[in-house]
Amino acid sequence: MPMITRRRLLAGSAAALALPAFARAQSAIKPRLTAISQWSAGSDGAAITALGKKFEEKGGIWQHSPVPGFTTEMMNKLRAQIMAGDPPACSQLKGPEIAAWSKIAPTVSLDELVAAAGYEKVVAPDLAKLHKPGGKWIALPLQIYSTNMLFLSKRAMDKAKADKIPVTWADFNDLAEKMKAGGVAYPIANGGTRPDDGQKFEASLAGISPAAYRAAIMNLDKKALEGPEIKAAFVQVRKIADWMDPNVGAQHFSTNLKRFVDGDMGMMIMGGWAQGVLRNAGFKFEDFMITPGPSDNGKPVFLLNADAFIFWQRKEPDLQAGQALMAQLVMDPAIQTMYSQITGSIPVRTDVDLSGEGWSDGQRRTAAALKDAIASNQAVLSVAHNMAQENGLTAALIDVITEYVKNKTIKPEQAVTRLAEAVESAR
Amino acid sequence: MVRRLPEYLTIWVPLLLSAAHLVSFSLWTIWISFTPSTLVPVSGWVGLRNYTSVLASRNWQIAFDNLLLFGSAFVLLSLVTGLTLAILLDQRIRGENVLRSIFLYPLAVSFVVTGTVWSWLLNPGIGIQKLVHDFGWTSFRFDWLIDRDMAIWTIVIAAIWQSSGFAMALFLAGLRSVDADLIKAAQIDGAGPVRMYRRVILPTLWPITITVIVIQLQFAISTFDLVRALTNGGPGIATQLPALVVYDLMFQRNLLGRGAAAAVLMLLILLSVLLPYAAWQYLQQRRAPHA
Repeated sequence: MPMITRRRLLAGSAAALALPAFARAQSAIKPRLTAISQWSAGSDGAAITALGKKFEEKGGIWQHSPVPGFTTEMMNKLRAQIMAGDPPACSQLKGPEIAAWSKIAPTVSLDELVAAAGYEKVVAPDLAKLHKPGGKWIALPLQIYSTNMLFLSKRAMDKAKADKIPVTWADFNDLAEKMKAGGVAYPIANGGTRPDDGQKFEASLAGISPAAYRAAIMNLDKKALEGPEIKAAFVQVRKIADWMDPNVGAQHFSTNLKRFVDGDMGMMIMGGWAQGVLRNAGFKFEDFMITPGPSDNGKPVFLLNADAFIFWQRKEPDLQAGQALMAQLVMDPAIQTMYSQITGSIPVRTDVDLSGEGWSDGQRRTAAALKDAIASNQAVLSVAHNMAQENGLTAALIDVITEYVKNKTIKPEQAVTRLAEAVESAR
Repeated sequence: MVRRLPEYLTIWVPLLLSAAHLVSFSLWTIWISFTPSTLVPVSGWVGLRNYTSVLASRNWQIAFDNLLLFGSAFVLLSLVTGLTLAILLDQRIRGENVLRSIFLYPLAVSFVVTGTVWSWLLNPGIGIQKLVHDFGWTSFRFDWLIDRDMAIWTIVIAAIWQSSGFAMALFLAGLRSVDADLIKAAQIDGAGPVRMYRRVILPTLWPITITVIVIQLQFAISTFDLVRALTNGGPGIATQLPALVVYDLMFQRNLLGRGAAAAVLMLLILLSVLLPYAAWQYLQQRRAPHA
């Protein structure tokens, strides 16, 4: 009996491996994929529609239901479907939420497919870890953004009579002062949303010390959380806050893009997606420069934000075939190229060549920064965009940061204590 | 009797269904608030842990203080504004219909729209402050939206704009239903307009006043969309309100148990307004036949 079971198992897994090819050959099973994501409009919507077209070209049936709005809205639909026992074959999910959600419903192991594609070698190690909680690949990253890119307004640079691109925080602060003196009303362009404030802090801390960022924010090490680097980061955040326009209230960063391009505002610390927003708003590449965010040791620091798909277990053979086909597509360099060229992100694969047509300088620089940052172990996970911690802990951290940005009576030392307390009580 | 049965069915079936719906979900929420649920509801018992952690959190404390301030200021001011508008409209003026529609119109606008429009008007960089600056009064300051201590008042302003028309409509109906003989008698006794309102008309309005207070209070307690659009709880977390905390805990932090606990706390606050009102109405009704 045990012999037969083992043989059956082997046959079963071989069949699973061969399923996509099998399915195409045997047209009896047509791969089908039910998917949900928040990507419904703009470049995000266009990108996933293009991916769906490719899926259909390979003979599949593409059933994507977008849930417009914030990621949380998509999560509510996912939660409802899982509780009803009818999860989508594949859904958008990212960061540590992958591990958290994988505990509430069974997921598909993608290990064979990942091994067959040789994918693990070309993914940043910290990123790979997020997608294989418990050692098994259950989700696949799709595209990468850096949350700490530095955007410089050409006209503000002219006003400051500066042409040197800042590398360290000291350079950055110098340039901001020069801009202020040269008549730039607000050296920092910003929005007033929670992730916006969070980005100012993560860029500061990771730029001052990626090691301290990793220990304090990613590993929640108690000693690191009370360390001198955290205080230094809060001091830097206060400087940035003093250079911001206080009038933005709770507005989105994109509200101020025109003032940024006009040189009324000088610098913007924002994710790579701002390039797409700037271009969509009709501004030219000559209007601004993109460079990795300040790093005190001179080597680029990369705050990773990656969108991903998680695969939920289904019994239907056509859905299983669809999952295998989808996984292969997501790992495919050609597909990643197509996707990133639409959204303005960079591919997850570190071996994609970005020198060709269709890529912008900003994307090339971002990809180069990622390569360098991985080599020097300075690629870390963004907390402001829910990559470093689960949502509950992230929100507790951002509470402290956003209050500090907006309330200038809070001293940096107090902020350090509050941050450590927030971690303690949210754990 | 046979003929009336279907009529009972048409009323009672939907009524029972909606009551059962309301009660069962409230009970479910109460149950969840005692479980360790995070992403999805799970069974288990954690006692009052969810409640203590919500009550101890900075977010809830700020939200509760804000609710007290916002609730009392909003109810009081919308009452005063509504009553003033109603009395002014009651003077048999020309164009009353047009004015009444104008004052009532904000009620037809969704809170999200109200919040967004006021967030522009109150933004010092683009709104009222900038307008006055452009007129030449450059020392003028009206930056409550970005001032942590004053931001809650911007919500009061927007909420009053939205709903004092509603209070006005109720008061106006009350003013119009005052017994004409009563007014005539007062006029014959030589009462001037001020005295007439103070001594004769307004005292008859108090049942309406209590209705307005209760309706506005339950609106204040459950305010969500207005704040979300206007300040989104900011600057920082200065304008948190309980409903925002519930949403944040449940759907952004994925802490269903704690979110449910916060929701139950909100229900308790609401009951503390509604139960006395229900008791008062009950007493009124019992007294009515004797009067």
